[in-house]
Amino acid sequence: MSLEIEIKFSLNGRQTRLKVSPTMTTLAMLREKLDLTGGKLACGEGECGACTVLVDGHTINSCLMFAVDCDGRELQTIEGLATDAGLEIVQQAFVDHGAIQCGYCMPGMIMQARYLLDHNPDKGRKMTRDDIARGLEGNVCRCSGYTKVVDAVAAVVLEESPS
Amino acid sequence: MNIENYEVPVSIVEAVQSLQHGDATILAGGTDLTPQTTSGAKEFLRTLINIQHIEEMRGISVDDGRYRIGGLTTVTDILESALLAAEVPVLVDAADHFASSQIRNAASLAGNICNASPAGDMIIPLLLLDAEVELAGWIDGTLSMRSIALIDFFTGPGKTAMQGNELLTSIVFAAPVEGFRAEFLKSGPRPALEISMVSMGVAAVQKEGVLSNVRVAIGAVAPTPIRARATEAVLEGQLLDESLVDEAAAAAGREVSPIDDVRASAWYRSHLTGVYIRRLLNVVGN
Amino acid sequence: MSAAMEKSLAKKTVIGTRVPKPDAPDKATGRTRYINDMVLPRMLVGKILHTDRVHAKIISIDTRAAKALPGVHAVLTGDDIPELRFGPTRDNFPLKSKKVRCIRDEVAAVAAESEEIADQAIALIKVEYKDLKPVFSASEALSKGAPVVHEDHPDNRSLYYEFSHGDIAAAEAASDIVVEHEFEVPYVTHCCMGPSCVLADFDTTGKLTIYSQTQYPYNYKMDLAPALGIHPGDIRVIQPPVGGAFGSKLDVYPFEPICALLAKATRRPVKLTFSREEEFINSPTRQPVEFRIRSGVNKDGSLTFRSVDALLNNGAYTSWGPTTPVIQMRTFTGHFRVPAVEYKGLAAYTNNVYAGSFRGYGNVQATFVTASVMDMLAEEVGMDPIAFRLKNAQKSGEVTPQGSILDDCRLGDCIEIAAGKTDFLSKHAANIKNRDVPGTRKYGIGIATSIHNAGGAKIHKSDGCGTILKLDDYARATLITGASEIGQGIDAVLSQIVMEELGIPFADITIVNNDSALGPWDVGVHASRTTFIAGNSALRAARAARKQVLDAAAKQSNVTAEQLDLREGHVVQADNGVAIIKLDRLLRQMHFGEDHELVMVTDYYEPNSEPEDRNHVGNLSASWAHGAYVAEVEVDTGTGEVKVLKITAVQDVGRVINRLGIEGQMEGGISVSLGYALSEQLQMEDGKVLNPSFRDYKVPTAPETPEIELHFVESDCKEGPMGAKGIAELPAIIPAPAIANAVYNAIGVRFFAPPLTPEKVARALHQASFQ
Ligand SMILES: Cc1cc2nc3c(=O)[nH]c(=O)nc-3n(C[C@H](O)[C@H](O)[C@H](O)COP(=O)(O)OP(=O)(O)OC[C@H]3O[C@@H](n4cnc5c(N)ncnc54)[C@H](O)[C@@H]3O)c2cc1C
Ligand code: FES
Ligand code: FES
Repeated sequence: MSLEIEIKFSLNGRQTRLKVSPTMTTLAMLREKLDLTGGKLACGEGECGACTVLVDGHTINSCLMFAVDCDGRELQTIEGLATDAGLEIVQQAFVDHGAIQCGYCMPGMIMQARYLLDHNPDKGRKMTRDDIARGLEGNVCRCSGYTKVVDAVAAVVLEESPS
Repeated sequence: MNIENYEVPVSIVEAVQSLQHGDATILAGGTDLTPQTTSGAKEFLRTLINIQHIEEMRGISVDDGRYRIGGLTTVTDILESALLAAEVPVLVDAADHFASSQIRNAASLAGNICNASPAGDMIIPLLLLDAEVELAGWIDGTLSMRSIALIDFFTGPGKTAMQGNELLTSIVFAAPVEGFRAEFLKSGPRPALEISMVSMGVAAVQKEGVLSNVRVAIGAVAPTPIRARATEAVLEGQLLDESLVDEAAAAAGREVSPIDDVRASAWYRSHLTGVYIRRLLNVVGN
Repeated sequence: MSAAMEKSLAKKTVIGTRVPKPDAPDKATGRTRYINDMVLPRMLVGKILHTDRVHAKIISIDTRAAKALPGVHAVLTGDDIPELRFGPTRDNFPLKSKKVRCIRDEVAAVAAESEEIADQAIALIKVEYKDLKPVFSASEALSKGAPVVHEDHPDNRSLYYEFSHGDIAAAEAASDIVVEHEFEVPYVTHCCMGPSCVLADFDTTGKLTIYSQTQYPYNYKMDLAPALGIHPGDIRVIQPPVGGAFGSKLDVYPFEPICALLAKATRRPVKLTFSREEEFINSPTRQPVEFRIRSGVNKDGSLTFRSVDALLNNGAYTSWGPTTPVIQMRTFTGHFRVPAVEYKGLAAYTNNVYAGSFRGYGNVQATFVTASVMDMLAEEVGMDPIAFRLKNAQKSGEVTPQGSILDDCRLGDCIEIAAGKTDFLSKHAANIKNRDVPGTRKYGIGIATSIHNAGGAKIHKSDGCGTILKLDDYARATLITGASEIGQGIDAVLSQIVMEELGIPFADITIVNNDSALGPWDVGVHASRTTFIAGNSALRAARAARKQVLDAAAKQSNVTAEQLDLREGHVVQADNGVAIIKLDRLLRQMHFGEDHELVMVTDYYEPNSEPEDRNHVGNLSASWAHGAYVAEVEVDTGTGEVKVLKITAVQDVGRVINRLGIEGQMEGGISVSLGYALSEQLQMEDGKVLNPSFRDYKVPTAPETPEIELHFVESDCKEGPMGAKGIAELPAIIPAPAIANAVYNAIGVRFFAPPLTPEKVARALHQASFQ
């Protein structure tokens, strides 16, 4: 019998408990054990960002993170972003700005965009388009060419910044 | 091999006790370990030790002129450190050229060093700072610490002077001397998310055109990251002028032993070495 | 008439507005279930054992250990199935039983209860080979005594295309200047973010339901059937959402029949998914080609002739890649006015991987060559790049030697606008002066143009698309179309067309296009055709529905149908917008009243294009579009790094339907071309792929993306829906040579083989410094 470890963590605001093998990735756990298929396995090597989720407020590539390491942490996935009131502001901006084509990269891209907006390292200054592009450098999109993605995030920067 | 135990130590002492039989795989951010084990390049040992909960291995501090960076400090922590930005900006600059935001959030400094890639980016600025690494072990029933110079830590691609039962706990270096200027360059049209074809750091104190405390570190041009000692010797104590730059570039060219691989040819790596040393000397010498 | 009805509704058009895709909200929230996310009850995991040889005889395959592994339900080799041939020239087999011809070759497959078990089983299969001498270069493959890839093609010749017009020899003799150049364009690959995936499920009567990423569901049945030995009619194709396609899913590839064969053998649903590494090695590439091009020009700047030899590396099997000369040729022979033209394209079998279709279909390669040569010729005759192009640009009404009818040609306008918007000529001249100024930063500006089919391409006997449109009792519309949605946004465009004609809101329209059992036939989403062809069919269906509704309304209200209009869910008087009746009410009256009329129309639209004749002549597309793109670059002469600062794209689009969608197509296409220009290359060595990962195969990311400025020329195409042309490929075609021309402008070095990697640029500069 191969080893299984019981872990407990907060998943999109709910306490979750399950057993995972020590070599399972967080992405595999989310997709295969928890049926959260928003995050995608598009490379499995940290090169594309399609699997991006928030762990304790920081984005990581869930394809690289061991599921056992989720124990005691707070995870947020794309499925936890929208509320009953509707799409979260970043999601809505991506829709409205036409950033989404095939959409496969988008759950990861949107999580990274949300993180970037919450985590502007240079807090005093509004993010420029270049800052946004740099912040999204770990997310590959083959459809959009990124311009509309940056448009969408830039629109949220304006909307969210106190004027 | 199948993992039989999974352990989550919360202190260095606990960790090295778990490590004492040397039959364990250390897990930090997992950004190297995951792809390497998935591809089969690396095998898991009997015990998996997740060191992420050892709080004493995190953080950046300075005490009596010595900087200490906990091994679990992430590249993001370094990138966002106001202390480092003010005092040792070359580390922040290297962090800014490192992978992507998501990887930086997970990747630990110790992991980058222990992975011992010739292209490990954080290693280059640390070599400029003459950093040492502190290794913890469990010998005869007690915690045993030793430290070695970072430059001596690397013995080959993926190979280090660390024993299988040791843990890299922190990285330490002395505060740079007055006037010390260190700069970093890394190849690639992308700002980051790029494995270095060449990375280079040059540091020196420049007074009236004369260089002292010269240090040159180069990545991805040899089996390990290197200090280009002969190049340093060419520059040390000399007036920086065009002919000295040429001499330094020639010396650096002789010190590197690059290979051809899928990312770049040996020719291009040598070429970049020449371009970078000129550019870096231009900045550092000004 | 009630008081509420007396409101006046103004005519509003949605054509040209910015409409988000209807599927975007679900995609933004992670709700969308892509094929890669699907799980069926009792589903098994399929896995393929690819060979590790490039050319070898299979001596034996030992599957005993794999079969004995608990959890393994089937292990198949070529010996377990009849020798089934498939592919456009029937030279491919699902599982290879006698010999392997390239690194992709599938020698065995397993179906197991989990991914891990499937992996273990694959590792347990032992294959014994006898290596054969391989051949990798196309020219070597054609030489005498070269190793033979397919025994039934002993000369290794695959497909051949030839076209000639005018007297080349005479034109050459009369030309003031004749130049010859060689180009070589590389292997690149689609990099769909959703890796290849298929799910096959047989019912008890032997009918197959296949969940597929295919871009051409109807012909897919015809192409898949021979690989399975079943009747095409017994295949139902379901198309769940996909993570990109870009042409990579316009053919059947071996993993698909293999998955179906596993499902057949196990009588359970089987799903087969590529890892990213498998995706890089085993999915189709763009066609690599070596070109030799001779061109002539007179001192006054008029082109005199163009003669092209194209040698295509066919790889081991034939998919669409070696057929791309059909489109490639149109650019060589028909882009700019060239009195004498000739093109010969030969594909040679080798032991390399093989190419399929990829956004731009042959024209990416042709445009890199022609646009580079145009720049060189301009320099030869001492003209600037703009004046030289304008001198040779065709005008409306001209017909190209192959019979492309340029009835609304806006090439000249595109060039002039592009030059004007970018201040091209003064920058171009200044950059040349700046070449010799000391410093390592050099700036360049370059232009490229091309032509592409913009109204489908009649490469099959029909280039049509069918539509079924129904309105229910609540005035909700369902549009069932043959056209596939692969992320490009046809769902939004068709919805807009229905909105425009029927005056109902976006939210009240459902597009159904994912099930071959429901949808009427369509040739597939390719050739920039879907807005044009499916759009026309939807438009005709919507107009028929509109007529039916207005006729019924007219009957009730004693006016003619022409005096009525549909706006905002109402029937209104066309002249003053006064509402007469709500549409849903009218529909119920039609349905449940005496006439028992249901609004349910069908349409099949076949464009007025012609298939080529044997000599490759015919107006292959119902419309043609041109574009002119300008690139501005910065070159670091030390590192060789090229940074694209800005792309200004001027594109004849006929008419904009969905502004958001067309901008997205342009920007996305430009990104693909940016990768082609600067970084992307599947590195092949001895038939093996050296860089099968995003780590070493560099697709563009956000920080490398230049500023993009778009200008749409609206030529109002007569045949297009609402005047629109199909343009999704040109933005993926034109930027790369514009970038190469800009690099030339910056540093005076010409590149004949993309990508212009830092190393290549640095090396060229290094060599130039010794000359
Ligand atoms: C997409 C991608 C891009 C990357 N880009 C870059 C880049 O630009 N520059 C660069 O330098 N690197 C890059 N890397 C490599 C990687 O992110 C770093 O090497 C990282 O710092 C490793 O840290 P980690 O915490 O993730 O280590 P882990 O993967 O957890 O561990 C790495 C190795 O070190 C051992 N180890 C970890 N911590 C300790 C310790 N305290 N004591 C003893 N042994 C230990 C582990 O057992 C393992 O063998 C990239 C990786 C990916 C996936
Ligand atoms: S799937 Fe995790 S980064 Fe690509
Ligand atoms: S929308 Fe298709 S990959 Fe990003």
